[in-house]
Amino acid sequence: MASISSATWQAIQLLISGDPDLWEIILISFRVSLIAIALATPPAILMAFLLAFGNFPGRRLLIAMTNTALAIPAVVVGLTLYLVLSRSGPLGEWRLLFTQTAMIIGQIVLAFPLLVAMAHTALQAADRRAWETARMLGASKIRAIWTLMYEVRFGLMSALLASFGRIIAEVGASMMLGGNILHYTRNIPTAIALETSKGEFAQGIALGLVLLLLAFILNLLLHYFQGKGHIAA
Amino acid sequence: MKQLLFRNLSKHYGKRLLFTDLEVPLTTGQCLLLTGKNGAGKTTLMRILAGLDKPDSGEIQVDQSRYTWRTYRPHLQRQILYLHQQPYLFEGSVWDNLAFALTRGLSRLEQTQQIEEVAAWAGLSALLNNKAKQLSGGEAQRLAMARALLRKPSALLLDEPTANMDHSARLLTLEMLEDLKHQGLMLMVASHDPDWFQAVTNQQIKL
Amino acid sequence: MRKLTSAILLSTCLILPVFADEQKPINPILKMATTTSTQDSGLLNELLPAFQKKTGYEVQVTAVGTGKALKLGENGDVDVVLVHARADEDKFVEAGFGDKRYSVMYNDFIFVGPAEDPAKVQDTKTTADALKQIAETKSPFVSRGDDSGTHKMEKKLWEKAGVKPEGEWYREAGQGMGEVLQMSGELKAYTLTDRGTWLATMDKSPLKIVLEGDKTLMNPYGIIAVSQKRYPDVNHAGAQALIEWLVSVEGQKAIGDYKINGQALFTPSADAAEAKPANEPVKTN
Repeated sequence: MASISSATWQAIQLLISGDPDLWEIILISFRVSLIAIALATPPAILMAFLLAFGNFPGRRLLIAMTNTALAIPAVVVGLTLYLVLSRSGPLGEWRLLFTQTAMIIGQIVLAFPLLVAMAHTALQAADRRAWETARMLGASKIRAIWTLMYEVRFGLMSALLASFGRIIAEVGASMMLGGNILHYTRNIPTAIALETSKGEFAQGIALGLVLLLLAFILNLLLHYFQGKGHIAA
Repeated sequence: MKQLLFRNLSKHYGKRLLFTDLEVPLTTGQCLLLTGKNGAGKTTLMRILAGLDKPDSGEIQVDQSRYTWRTYRPHLQRQILYLHQQPYLFEGSVWDNLAFALTRGLSRLEQTQQIEEVAAWAGLSALLNNKAKQLSGGEAQRLAMARALLRKPSALLLDEPTANMDHSARLLTLEMLEDLKHQGLMLMVASHDPDWFQAVTNQQIKL
Repeated sequence: MRKLTSAILLSTCLILPVFADEQKPINPILKMATTTSTQDSGLLNELLPAFQKKTGYEVQVTAVGTGKALKLGENGDVDVVLVHARADEDKFVEAGFGDKRYSVMYNDFIFVGPAEDPAKVQDTKTTADALKQIAETKSPFVSRGDDSGTHKMEKKLWEKAGVKPEGEWYREAGQGMGEVLQMSGELKAYTLTDRGTWLATMDKSPLKIVLEGDKTLMNPYGIIAVSQKRYPDVNHAGAQALIEWLVSVEGQKAIGDYKINGQALFTPSADAAEAKPANEPVKTN
């Protein structure tokens, strides 16, 4: 394929020239994934807290389940939610299928186990003394949780970044639940799938470059935060 | 409250018996020295007294009234502060660590006064803006004591307070303990090296 | 020596493809790019085994949109393309990527929509009126939006109707026909589909046919061998054999006999004169 270099060159031009269609897709991607992360994070961290410090029956089982959930392929999540949200499904009344809301729900489900697992690891690495000290010094449970989160903030940041990286690049669930509708639910990965199937490689490569760049930045940040985390520990 | 008397304390660690039928008196203005080898259960005992860990059995006599450990636990957690062998200092400055322990609802002026007063007492006035995690062992221990003092507790339990300290830092710590006794606190110090604390000790328990 | 033999055998195949079935092909793997409609309708599952039995060629099918199928041909990634977008097919040949376009068959497109038919498409007779009604009532319409043959056909139909489809009601899905039919069912929307995919999925769909039979909805399929001049290593002999067989009396009959639920999907349309392409000189540009 002699066209790979020319397609890449076209792709860069598309990006630089601020091609509105391209940037709309990028914006939709970020919007959906950022909302998903924002909604998934508070309950995920709460659950990570319970898993790390709670003492209740079924805790080990719950940890095992979270780790199993990590391995569930995105398309299975997509399929399950598709059946739930479809008109003939239990939540069909809500008419969510093929909306951004459906994509956000899918991405929350995908991000949640990874967030819990990584936040759990981060919190477990936290010093038990930090919690005890905060409580002994009169901090309410809520304040002690905030304190502990602040102490392990680099680990928690890593959890956020890794989860964001997972969902923004994920194609299976987004395609099934969003439907890849132009101006509406077409995000970077579904657009790449489409452009490739159309043979429009320049658009596909341009969006691929955005994901690559994003992955690079996320990795740099991860590296930075994980390094920081070690120094702090 | 002149005295907290713990009775009938017993605790197993796994299958191993750490202590049984132990009696521990904490008395205002007195220092109790807890000695014993590493692993004898000194830390566990102190954590039980501070309400952090549960004993297998135990009761508490406060002046003339008696309680079970379980019912009295919330009071323990407020009145008795346990200082870890290596005290945990939060991210941020010395000031931030002291401010963490302040009671709510103080005016800005009161906050500043209390922090500066306790910092001066612990010899940390010059270090208020330093990062807490970068303090030396002695400075960290003194900060932990100062921070605990802001909670106005009845008792302070110190776990190996002079480990990893140089000679002058140890002397400074001893002086502070002496001062705390005079302020009327109940003190308990755990150490496997009891000679150092003979000067401040009123009573001794060996595990 | 080996090379020479292959060259001789190869040219024999080219010149005398009538006998090709009696010899084992040198390169028995034939790669074909085609549209999802031929695959999804089940037609290929019927035709290709018969072809393989006759000639010994094993056809590996890549089912994609017409745009991508032609692109695969342009890049020399496949040996032959079977698609339905007449204008693009002619361009493909003109640009020298393929030798010649052969008519194979046609099927027709239909409009399907929700049973309630909010735009009253069933009362219309022509495609143009149907599309105008949909646009006027702003009834949801799902477009393939993937540059496929069906998508191109749909765009042409809007153009002919003089309507520019824009707005919340017009959704460009960017997915295959099966997915778009599912999506239309979920969204209670209208869509344009080929009859084959519709017949294969209608049992599970809440939609029904709202318009069919208009002349503008005919959909011709063409097959083109990728140019050997451009890509010397393509399996040109195989491609030629497939074309040969599809336009032959036998192949054409097989196409016409293929039915789902008793309905024929494709109408054979090969030019009888083209049934013997071996007699024509190889086209040179």
